[in-house]
Formats: sequence, C-alpha cells, structure tokens
Amino acid sequence: MKIAFKLNEKPVMIDVDPMRRLLDIIREDFNLTGTKEGCGEGECGACTVLLNGKPVTSCLVNAVQLESAEVVTVEGVSETEIGQKLIACYDKTNAVQCGFCFPGFVVSSYYYLIHDGEPDLEKIKRALSGNICRCTGYTKIFEAVMMACELVGGQS
Amino acid sequence: MIVPQNLAELKSHLAHIEPETFFLAGGTDLNVQIRKGILQPSEIVFINRIPEMREIALQDGFISIGATATFMEMLESPIIGKHLPMLQTALQNFASPLLQSTATIGGNIANGSPTADVIPLLLVCDAKLELLSADGVRTVAGNDFYYGYKKNLLERGEIIYRVLIDQDAQQGRKFFYKKVASRKSLTISKASIAILSKWNSDRIESISIAAGSLNEYARRLPQTESLLTGKRRDEISDAILRETLSNEITPISDLRSDSDYRFEVFFNLLIRHIEDVTNG
Amino acid sequence: MKSPIRVDSHAKLTGITKYIDDYREDGMLEGAIFFSPVHAGKINKIIFPTAFDLTEFTLVFSGDIPGENIVPEPVSDQLFLVEQHIGYKGQPILGVAHPDRETVRSFVEGIKIEVDEFPALTATKAALDDAHNAFGREIVIDHGTHHDIDPMWIHTRSVYYTPHQEQAYLEPQGMIARFDAETRIMNIRGTMQCPYFVKSAVDQIMGSKIEGTIVQVAEGIGGAFGGKEDFPNIIAGVTALLSYRSGKPVKTILDRAVDIQVTTKRHPSRTEIESWLDPNDFTLRKLSVDYRLDAGFYQTLSPVVLARGVLHAGGCYKCDDIYVHGRLIRSNTPPNGAFRGFGAPQSLFAIESHMDDLAKKVGLNPLEFRRRNLFKSGDKMPTTQPVPENHIHDTLERLLDLSDYEAKAKDFAAYNSTHRLKKGIGLSLALHGGGYTGNGEKVLKSEIKVVIEKDATVKIYVINTEMGQGVQTTLAQCVAEELGHPLEKTIYMFPDTSKAPNSGPTVASRTIYIIGNLLRKLAREIRAEIGDTSLEEYIRQHPAEFPMERRAHFTPDESVVFDEETYKGTGYKDYSWAACAIEIAYDPDTWTVEPVKVWAVLDIGKVINHDVAIGQAIGGITQGIFWGLSEYFEKEGMGRMNGFTDYVLPTSLDAPEFVVEFIHTNSTVAKGLGEIPMDFPAAALRNAFLNASGKSINEIPLIPERIFREE
Repeated sequence: MKIAFKLNEKPVMIDVDPMRRLLDIIREDFNLTGTKEGCGEGECGACTVLLNGKPVTSCLVNAVQLESAEVVTVEGVSETEIGQKLIACYDKTNAVQCGFCFPGFVVSSYYYLIHDGEPDLEKIKRALSGNICRCTGYTKIFEAVMMACELVGGQS
Repeated sequence: MIVPQNLAELKSHLAHIEPETFFLAGGTDLNVQIRKGILQPSEIVFINRIPEMREIALQDGFISIGATATFMEMLESPIIGKHLPMLQTALQNFASPLLQSTATIGGNIANGSPTADVIPLLLVCDAKLELLSADGVRTVAGNDFYYGYKKNLLERGEIIYRVLIDQDAQQGRKFFYKKVASRKSLTISKASIAILSKWNSDRIESISIAAGSLNEYARRLPQTESLLTGKRRDEISDAILRETLSNEITPISDLRSDSDYRFEVFFNLLIRHIEDVTNG
Repeated sequence: MKSPIRVDSHAKLTGITKYIDDYREDGMLEGAIFFSPVHAGKINKIIFPTAFDLTEFTLVFSGDIPGENIVPEPVSDQLFLVEQHIGYKGQPILGVAHPDRETVRSFVEGIKIEVDEFPALTATKAALDDAHNAFGREIVIDHGTHHDIDPMWIHTRSVYYTPHQEQAYLEPQGMIARFDAETRIMNIRGTMQCPYFVKSAVDQIMGSKIEGTIVQVAEGIGGAFGGKEDFPNIIAGVTALLSYRSGKPVKTILDRAVDIQVTTKRHPSRTEIESWLDPNDFTLRKLSVDYRLDAGFYQTLSPVVLARGVLHAGGCYKCDDIYVHGRLIRSNTPPNGAFRGFGAPQSLFAIESHMDDLAKKVGLNPLEFRRRNLFKSGDKMPTTQPVPENHIHDTLERLLDLSDYEAKAKDFAAYNSTHRLKKGIGLSLALHGGGYTGNGEKVLKSEIKVVIEKDATVKIYVINTEMGQGVQTTLAQCVAEELGHPLEKTIYMFPDTSKAPNSGPTVASRTIYIIGNLLRKLAREIRAEIGDTSLEEYIRQHPAEFPMERRAHFTPDESVVFDEETYKGTGYKDYSWAACAIEIAYDPDTWTVEPVKVWAVLDIGKVINHDVAIGQAIGGITQGIFWGLSEYFEKEGMGRMNGFTDYVLPTSLDAPEFVVEFIHTNSTVAKGLGEIPMDFPAAALRNAFLNASGKSINEIPLIPERIFREE
C-alpha cells in the first residue's frame, strides 16, 4: 500500500504492507533510531512518538493509520524550540541514566508541555504514566519536567 | 486490507465479510493479539477513516459516542464532561495516555475482555449499542450484548457503530468506581466495580451495580441490586448479601489474582460505597 | 557543589546514542535462539516448521561447536547449547539466522521437539523447603563463642521467603558478531556488563577456529542491573557461531517475551532464623541463620551470590555467637544470576524483618530494639572482622531527624485507631561490602590505562561499562579532578577489549570504589610527574613524551586476609551503610499497600557526582520497594509471565516521594553505591505494614492476595 504522510515535518511516501508497524517504518525505513523497542506491546513507552499531535506507542500503530498523518519522533522534537528547552532541563537535572526509555519520556513530556504545561506534579505523573523507566525511580524525571513547565509554561 | 473511506463504502463491504475478518481502529488490542499469535486474521478492515463513526455528540437526549472515538477524545469531550463526568473521572487512568490516544471505545467493547475498563461504566448507565450492518442499524441494550467469554451479539457482517447513553444517566445519583489492580496505570484489573445509586436520605432508592473481571464477561448484578433496593445499611445482612453476590459473581483464579480475594474485595467495596453514602 | 552534567545525557535524550539494535552492517543476518519448551527430558527429534525453506537459514547445534560447549563461569557447569538432555524450560537448544527478523522469529516459534519428558522440580518454595535439593557450594560461618542455651533466653524461630525478580532492563539483550575470515578475528559488539567475560565465552565456544575475539560495547547500554553480567556470554557465543557458519555478520536481539523467560533472575531465597534474646536487656545472645538460594539448574555464578548472602546475613547487629549456613538449591528452572545486591537483599530482608518481629515480641519499639543491638566500631562481624566504624549509628540517627520517625510512629498509632485506612512506618538498616568478596579483588588484579594525547585530551581505557549508572561521567570526574584538567577533555573511552586492559567486570559496586579510586591514584601520579603546570603547557615543553600512556594495577592491601575455606577474616575491606524509613498507606478493604514516602540516609563515603548518586539511590530503592510490594516472577508457570503486561513494573503514578541524603561525604574514599539501595527497602516496607496492621508477613511481595490469605 502506498502511504503519504509527514515525518518530522517532511512529506514522505512509502509503499509497504499496511500492517507494518510505525516503529519499524521509523527505525528501518527512515533510519531514525532514536525511537526504541522495549516490549513490542505498548507496555513500556520506549517507542513513543507523536501521531497527529498525540503521543502513541509506535509499536502498535500500523502503516495504514499514517495516510495524511503527521508523525513527530524524538529527532523531530529535538529540533523544536520548546523541545530543546525541555531537553536542557533533563540535562540540568541529570535525570538520565541508561537512557533507553528517555526518547519516549522526551516525547511524552513535550506533549504535556505544549498541551497543558502546568507545573503540577500529579498531572505530570499522569502524563508520563505510559512510559516505564527502570533506572531512575522517576523522581528526577518529574524534576526535569517541572522545571520545563516553569520555564516554558504558557508559551504554547 | 479493506479501507472504506465512508459509511456507505463500509456498509457495502459489510455485505460480504469473510470469516476471520477483523476490524482495525486503534490497533492497541488487535496488534498485540496478532503478534502473540492469538489471532490470525484472514482479512482486515480499517475503519478509522469514517467521520460518522468517530463523533461524540448530543442527540435526542442521548450522548452518542462513535465506536472509533478514542479514550482521549472521551476524556477531553466537553459534552461528556458536562453530562457524564463520571466517565471522565473513572477513565482518567485508563491504560496509559499513550494508549488512550489510540484505543477506541468500540474496540474495548468488541474485544470484550472481562477486564475491559469501560464496560462496567456503560452497563450502570444502561448504555445502548447501535450495531451496523449492510441492512442498516439495530439497537441492543448494553446489558444484553455479552453472553459468554468474549461472546457477543455481533453477527458476521455486523460492527459496533455507536454507543448511546441517556444524557441524564448520572443526574441525582451517587457514582462509585474502583478498579483493583497491581499498579495505578497501564494495568489490567483484578476486579472492578461501578455503581450508580439513588438515595432517599439514608435509604437506597435504586442502585445499578456492574462487576468487571469477576465473571466471563462484565455484567450487571440484578439480584444484588433488587436485594439492596429500598434498604438502609442497617437493614442489609452481610451474610445474605454475600449469598446473593455469590450467585452473580463467579471469579476465577488466574495469573493476576485469585477467586476468594476477588470476591471479598468486591464485597468490601460494595459495602464501602453504601457506608460512605450512609455516613455522609 | 553543583554536579557536572552527565556526559552521556544529551545524546541519549535526543536519540543519537546508538544501542545495540541501532547498529547495522551490510549483509547482516538476524539471529535467534530456540529455547527448550519443556522442563526436563531427552531430545529425540527436532522438527522444523514446513512453511519455510530450510536452505535460507543458518542453523547451529551443539555438535557444531568447534571449541568447548561450556560457558565459563565461577562454576563452569552450564552448556551453551543442549546436547541431548534438557534440564530446564528455557535452555538454549540451537541457534538460527536468516536475513529477516520476523521470519527468523516465526521460524523459531514454529520449531517443535520430540522429547522423552522427565519429572521436573519447578515449584520454587517446595524446592527451597526441602534441603535434600541442595547441591554444589555450601558455606558455613561459625567463629563465635559457643554459648550453652540458657532456658530463660527468649527463643524465636522464623522463616522468610523472597521471590524471583526480573531485572527488566528496558533494552532487551542483544549481540552482533562478525567473523573476519581474513584475520580470523571474531568481532563482537553488544549490550553487556563484562566484556572480558564475553571474550572468554566466545574464545571458548570457537576454540582454535579463530585467532581471537575482540569485544566492544554499544555506545548505549539500556540498563543491566546484573542481568547483563553472564547471560550475554550465551548470546555472544551462539551469535559468534552463527556468524562463523554463515560467513556473515549476525545480530541477535531477544524479543522481550523471550528475554523475560530465559534470562537470569534474582535468586528466590528461604532464610530460617533462630534467635535467642537475653530476657533482661533484650540483646541478641545467639543467632543461627539457615540461608538457601534457588540456583536453578546450574550453579554458574550462584556460589558467589551465596557468599555475599551469608556474609551479610547478620545485618548490622552485634552477636558474639552467630552461626550461618548457606546452601544452593537445584531446580529445573533457568539458572538465576546477578541482580543488584547479589544475595545481600535476600539475607538482609530476613534479618531486618526478624528485628521487627523480635521487637514486637518483647514489647519494644523497633527503633529501641535496634539501638540495643546495633554494632559499634570494634565489635566483631560473623567472620571475626572488626566493625571498622560507627557509621551505621550515625546513619540511623540522621535518618531519625530527617524522617521524624518517632513522632510519626506515635501519630500513626493514634490515627489508625480512628480511621478505616491505615498508616504505617517501618525501619530498616543495611550494610554492603564494596567490591568482590574476600580475596576476589586480589585475584582479579584489575588493570587500567590512561593515554594523554598531544592535544591534551586525556583518554581513560577501562573495561567497565556505562549502563546508566553514570561511570562515563564519574570515572572521568575522578581523573579530571586529580589532574586538575577540564572534564570536557577527559574522556571515558567505550570499552573495547583490543584497547582497554582488563579492569574487571562491571559488578559488585566496584566501579567507582575499585576502578575510580585506582584511576584517581594513577592521575595523582601523573600530576606529580608533570608538576604544577597545566597539561597543555607541559605537553608544549615535552612534546616527545606524548601521546603518553600510563597503566596501573590494583594493589591489594596486604593486611586484608580472608580464608575462603572457613570464611574467617575480612569479607570486604570497606562497607557502605544505610538507614531507611518508609511510610505506607494500607487499605484493609482491598488489602492494598501503597508506599507514600521514603527517607534514606546512606554512607557511601566520598560522593563523586551528587546528582548521579541520588539517581542511583532512588532508582535502586524503587527496585527494592517493588520487589517487596508487587514484583515477582513465577518460573513454575513459565511461559505465562512473558512480558510487561504480566510482569508488572512501577509506573510514574506508583512512585513514592523520596528524601535521600548522604553522610560522611568528606571521607577520602568513595565506597560502593550501586547495590546498597536495593538492600533495605523491602524490609522497611514489610515493617511498615507490620506497623500499620499489626501483622507479620514473612514472604514478599506483599501482594493483596497474600495479605488477604494470611489474615
């Protein structure tokens, strides 16, 4: 099936099995390896990307769902101004450990920042509750996102 | 893969659906089941491009939720927020934000897992389901939809079209919902309970109770409801309530929990709701 | 002091860092391993699925192994690939490679075997309860004064159980092997903790067919926690064999469902404690600990886990008549392996739970009871090693201030008498020996290398991997600080066995404690050699000396002596200490425990990077809490618990609030940090539940079903 969509703001066209996973399309067909596979069943969030502006687990999205859609990966988020500010907060708080889950956290917290952005711990926890981190116990991730909310909150 | 672009196209495809055809909307259940080898579809119909099937609207005193509306759309819907806030309160920790954005209400109902979070909520609201086929739409009561483990009234060539809920379903009634699970998000329930109850001071005037994960399918508990109707807390015998409940919930032991625990936790939560209202 | 930003942070956040599955090579095949679907038996026939063209696949069996079919381990008893007899479900039987990942995985899923099945022992608790299942290594520590038991002494006997725990690194296991036919070198890259272990495994399986093995790590290692200590040896071995057979590079990434079922887990344990208290002051007069670990089917590294377990079994308490007996139990389940804490969390859970049980029995509060029995500097540990310092006392006192423990314990008692939902607070203490047990570091004799380039870049060559714990930053900090050189120009080089000497495995809380301190020493020597000038200036004056290479060996303190036979002497030269309090909420209607707030005070000596240390502490404590609360893995029903839907990890919404502090940080020695956070949370949680409900539950996790049953 031929499918046209936007990937990190660039129009692209693919010809694939309509059931092919968005995760594989991103990683293998476009060599954007920032998006990770942790479980393959939507339970860990390492493969989080934005699909039409909403965070999704790309391991459960099929090619057919991409027609005319906009997909933004961690590489795309890293190029936005708000994304860069957010990432700087993660840097400053030294939140990262093994890093495998972090592209997913960056995308989920970027969505929270632009969609809500209130520096409210309970809301932040809920916004990140689809992303599993095994290293950090989450505390420093909350700190980073809280810092980002205070920095860019309301800008969107 | 069949990709109807509108309702008319979908209907014409529904006229000749082959066995082992599956409908794909959000894909959060279907993809996992295909990957695990539980399902091997012969054909897939992608239904996410049909606007009528996605709408959340008020219509003739009913809230109408299209089958491919996502949980995120329900959580953000001002219509649901105004008329049926219980749905948003109860579903805010549904799965996870990453699945809320793609999982659909129709998918949750059609997959029909006994653990599905949304079904007990719909049942206590006396929701109706509109089923679409090539011949048109028929309406069934949510309470009649399931009749066994993952067994429902859908015939081949039929698909869930919309969910209808009386816009006043919550009005003047106390709402209680609890999902017992091993963590707070991304989790499959061990037991869940949804209650809508109407009170005349400390007396139960009417009560709707639905149980999830406690039978082969989520269901209402009519015997228990009629036992409790018209009673005050001090008129309810725990022994008789247990007895009645045991006719209506038949929990199993599995990987996630065991039957005795599931039964007792449900009993406690039902009592908790009654006592919480009684004690103000 | 402001912590420097982690060197690896930005590239990981932006998705630039390459993890093993992000590497690709031309003509690369995808590898997979077929694991036994039965617990025990004799293979008669392997049947391949007919829907595939067999000629497209490369297959390797035990008979294809040119070298030795034995995985090198402390006890080398494990096969790379089954020869005929299967000992456990999940045992590797053959390797397969094919150009397409999905194809190779569905091929492997379709493989069937015809087997004569044998009876199998898979029920963990039943296996642990019967001492007849003991095999292999047995350890006895018995150096106390043998007192005759006074009938007036208060005698207590309790049995404590802990379950399997999955490391659940977010990145599944994976390796790439590329055999270079010209040089006959086997090149391996992967996600691992111990590159030299992997090297010897590949050397062993390939034997004389190769000239040598070079092992490199991927830039990013997506978590390990012990889970990538020895299992990578098997994946690397089989993948190397596949590459040798096919003549192509082969990448094997375990699917999560496979990874979770076949890889090593934390050892389940059974610890039986008998204690005798003096009825006058409630001090411990005699203590006897029977400690058992379910090793699975092979011993592999379990004897070393056992050693650490028995050495920590007495906890932080004084008792001059202590007897510890440690045994391994054999079952038909996959070998268990390393997981943060390595035997100590199991034995400390038992002793810390027992302290609360005894306090309750004699009517003292848990704090007072601990104070009476806590050891002081100069008291003897079970091995006769003198307790080196009073830091556990300081750690506990600081914790009490920080948490307001005593006031909370009082308030909660009052609250609980009038509320349906209960609150509770629990204490626990821990010690953790840094580095390898006993003479281990003497034997390892780790070596490090530093190269200073002409442009004043300082390169650190060690083989200890960055798996999230921050060593890429903290090891560089150790060198930069001593050299007085900018951190940006002090570079940790990704481990590569062709370039870095063997600085030992990345395990046992040893990377900063042994390697960091060794790097510091070497950097000080270099600084002394170049005098007061800046490195750049020195290079200008002495250009011929550069690039300058310096190496150093770990030199053991000769006064540290340990007898491996009798377990007498210095078990560990330095100990880290910790005290913890956890507040919980308990809902008796649903029998659900929720951790609310955690206070922890740790003495790890000098702190290199405060942010990194806090991150390690909170991350480890979280793993410890949920081991005590909700994580468990039933190998008995293996095949059911095969993903993150069923093996339930804590989410952001489950995380409690944390207050963590380090004390005695002005010490000159940076001690071990990696593991101690795992040692105490489960007991503190269990003791908090006892405080909230009055009920002693001696088996974790505290799942509601267990609480309900035991009520």
